[in-house]
Amino acid sequence: MKNSSEIKTIIKDSLFTGLISLALFGPIVGLKTSSKGQGLFVTPHVGIVVLLVTACIIGRFLIGLNSLRKKEISLIANITSSISNYMDNKGKHVAITGFLFAIIFPFLPFTDRYVLDVSIMILTYIMLGWGLNIVVGLAGLLDLGYVAFYAVGAYSYALIATTFGWSFWICLPLAGLFAGFFGILLGFPVLRLRGDYLAIVTLGFGEIIRIILINWYELTNGPDGITDIPRPSFFGLPFKKFPEEGESSFHTFFNLEYSTMHRIIFLYYLILVLALMTNYFTLRIRKLPVGRAWEALREDEIACKSLGVNPTNTKLTAFAIGATFGGFAGAFFATRSAFVSPESFTFIESAIIVAIVVLGGMGSQTGVVLAAIFLIGITEIFRDLEQYRMIAFGGAMVLIMIFKPKGILSNRKPTITLKNYLK
Amino acid sequence: MNKNLLEVENLTMKFGGLTAIDDLSFSAKDNEITSIIGPNGAGKTTVFNCLTGFYKPTTGEMILHKKNETIALKKFTDYKIAYKAKVARTFQNIRLFSAMSVLENLLVAQHNELMIASGYSIFGILNLKRYKDKEKEAVEKSKYWLDIIGLTNRADDNAGDLPYGDQRKLEIIRAMCTNPKLLCLDEPAAGLNPKESSELNKLLKFIKTEKQTGILLIEHDMSVVMGISDHVVVLNYGKKIFEGTAKDTRNNKEVIEAYLGVEE
Repeated sequence: MKNSSEIKTIIKDSLFTGLISLALFGPIVGLKTSSKGQGLFVTPHVGIVVLLVTACIIGRFLIGLNSLRKKEISLIANITSSISNYMDNKGKHVAITGFLFAIIFPFLPFTDRYVLDVSIMILTYIMLGWGLNIVVGLAGLLDLGYVAFYAVGAYSYALIATTFGWSFWICLPLAGLFAGFFGILLGFPVLRLRGDYLAIVTLGFGEIIRIILINWYELTNGPDGITDIPRPSFFGLPFKKFPEEGESSFHTFFNLEYSTMHRIIFLYYLILVLALMTNYFTLRIRKLPVGRAWEALREDEIACKSLGVNPTNTKLTAFAIGATFGGFAGAFFATRSAFVSPESFTFIESAIIVAIVVLGGMGSQTGVVLAAIFLIGITEIFRDLEQYRMIAFGGAMVLIMIFKPKGILSNRKPTITLKNYLK
Repeated sequence: MNKNLLEVENLTMKFGGLTAIDDLSFSAKDNEITSIIGPNGAGKTTVFNCLTGFYKPTTGEMILHKKNETIALKKFTDYKIAYKAKVARTFQNIRLFSAMSVLENLLVAQHNELMIASGYSIFGILNLKRYKDKEKEAVEKSKYWLDIIGLTNRADDNAGDLPYGDQRKLEIIRAMCTNPKLLCLDEPAAGLNPKESSELNKLLKFIKTEKQTGILLIEHDMSVVMGISDHVVVLNYGKKIFEGTAKDTRNNKEVIEAYLGVEE
């Protein structure tokens, strides 16, 4: 029988997976050191290792069986492909519905402070994802140090706002400008690098910025961070319960009862506007010569040179623009939490943003939204599991990789079509 | 008599101890097809890479005569060859932007004009008329070339999805969209069937006569070389062993020995 030989390979595969997971879980989970009296003792945890390894074997076996069935009907493949088809045809409707939903979201009955806080976080990641999408998705430059620009934006905002006391709307462009400048600064040394080498250098850049922030005590206040960053105001109206003499605050001006929700809702709309601005900008610039040159550069740099496209300028603009949006998001982060410290800008942040872009489908704007909701949302849902919630994060990534290896939405639409032009 | 478009003088290219091109001199004329032939490893592609700025020659000069100016190609490197000196090229292994549409491929070739018209993206973001007009012009130019090779109905498909022969032709018209004075084609007929290579001949003749562009051609397919070349340069081990018309080349004893082969 044809099937039996296939099942044999699946079983072999599963056992091999079991072997690998044993090698991984054995030392990591299986051996726990504990101190009893004097000295350390190793306590073996055989049960949990057996459990995890069995889970891996069974999981691999089921995936194998599923791929076997695929030849007849594969339910998941069908669902996902019909979703991407639907998005191709009705993408605009979905986007508009999503947009309207995002607008009324703060006033829906189930929206409480916690839900809104999570949404603000998701929107921040969406904005970062859209910003990084320019660099990674369009220009094809794998940047593992994107968090550096987020940090530069946040610190620029924090320092300018606390030193000069300027308002959010003046500090925001400045923060973006600084981050963009750092983008060009990073761009220069990495112009000649591609692929893995580029990834390593950008990763290093991210760490350098963080270490500078820790050690430049005079400017950044080192690991203690910067506190008391001014909160944003609603066109000059602060969100304070007791406004100072002669000053009106948001709730007194509009004759509302004071509620901390006002500020959260305002922050929500602020990040929504910033994110949509990023999205609009990216969608527009993709259709311009520079956007097409980014994509062409991703496809083939040598061909680009032979057609007279300047790769240096093209790459630098990608880095600068991507970094600018990272800086905007950073400024928002600083004003939202009123506190920045180097701890917020570790490598894991870069990794999450890259994961959102790659798993969303490189270059797809909607994909970034879906991936951000999926990855950050799942991690939030399992917040009660505390440190183990990262397992959910990893699990979500594995699921996408198994079922959508090219990203959730991987169909690329041409920036211009002759069909529409001739109409 | 046409004037010389390109003059290569005493070109030498050394990679360490290896001399890939040895004291090569030849010229190519306006409105003519000049073929460079020779056995594998003779240094043909290296000549192209020197001309198009990918390599910097060890010694020698490459002079391009344009209408009112004379330029030394050596001074231009990288992307400036196509942008400023107006020398375009195709590649031995096709280098299209395969995940982008056919039309987009042709628009990338017009990048610099569009970039200026879009005010380095500032006018473009604001969607000003000045940019829109220029974009329309660029699309029309692309359509003009697509009409010529008969690919207009596939303009919105991915370039990578085209059949091999069409990809070859697309790469040539993409190079033409940069408005070159000199077009360097690296084995454009490789892998084409007889019908496709005769279409290619037609396209190249059209470019030569209608577009006033000099063509430099590396080719192994003798039906193409002998059919359309006005001038042939034969290389062997980096040295020129013969230069003349297609007919003379066919009858030259040294060329036959080194490359064309003796009929049994």
